[in-house]
Amino acid sequence: MRIAVIGKGGVGKTVVSGILARSLAREGWEVIALDCDSNPNLGISLGVGADATERLAAIRQALDAGEAEHAPTVEEMLERFGASGPDGVRLAVVTQIDTPNPG
Amino acid sequence: MANGLKIAFLGKGGVGKSAIAGTVCRQLARRGHQVLALDVDTVPGLAISVGAPMDEGRLPSGLAEVVEGKRGRRWKMVTGAGAVHLVDRYAIPVADGVRFLALGKLPGGVEPSVSVAFRHVMERFGRRGWVMVADLAAGTRQPMFGWAGFATVRAIVVEPSRKSVLTARRLAPVATHLVVNKVQSEADVEMVTRAVPLSLLGVIPYDESMAEAERQGSAPIDCAPQSAGVEAIAELAGRLEEMS
Repeated sequence: MRIAVIGKGGVGKTVVSGILARSLAREGWEVIALDCDSNPNLGISLGVGADATERLAAIRQALDAGEAEHAPTVEEMLERFGASGPDGVRLAVVTQIDTPNPG
Repeated sequence: MANGLKIAFLGKGGVGKSAIAGTVCRQLARRGHQVLALDVDTVPGLAISVGAPMDEGRLPSGLAEVVEGKRGRRWKMVTGAGAVHLVDRYAIPVADGVRFLALGKLPGGVEPSVSVAFRHVMERFGRRGWVMVADLAAGTRQPMFGWAGFATVRAIVVEPSRKSVLTARRLAPVATHLVVNKVQSEADVEMVTRAVPLSLLGVIPYDESMAEAERQGSAPIDCAPQSAGVEAIAELAGRLEEMS
């Protein structure tokens, strides 16, 4: 089962995604939460906390800057760049983070 | 007069960028400035909050073209498509004499030539006595790609939520000021100012009538002119005026 949550900014996509992920995990599903926003905040709604959410984005940024190698598989990406959240949900930031662009 | 005052509002989705930007435009216009309101977001926002029609105030395609230059292919504005001319011709007059120009809406997208021409207006427009106010798309993409660079005041709108604070921390390197919206206590302001090291430009209280304006899809200054929110934004407009 693959679910994508979309909509205008501020409507509650992240909150709905976080609760969906946690609820499905509690029902016994193995859940991978993918933050596809270039301004990633899903960690907060999943319950991993603001600090861990910021850290995950920093790891992703390091990856984009070439300081870390890209993971060849999804499993490996989760292993290296993801975090484990409450109810066993695993979270990964999959979109490149926006940073100031000189162009 | 607010010569050369150029303002951009940035921030996470839903924090109130459009409502604040639209109300600032109207307030500055009522104080006697000629205001150019720029809707840079590709989902609905500023048009509603400033009181403009939804599908007007657009630049046509074909104002910019790809040319072969010495250093490869690049975009070039066509002859006669100067920023001042484009504003005169395509920015529509709305309430209080504000002139309104929008990048365009999705779906349907925005053609590359339109995007180039719009950015040209943002970067090059300037006229004595005019104020520019831009409402950028939610999140970090546009600001990180320089869409706020034209502005001397680049204000991040923040609401008291961890997500919006986290977004503000990411935006801080390209911004100059903070506006805290939907404030219910002094602690809300502290939570934001502690986390984001920018100078505080305005504090706007949580106001149910601003939320009602959003429900109705109308400009706060028209449907709730006496509200605490609109009055706080009037103060913000006054401070912006002093900065020019």
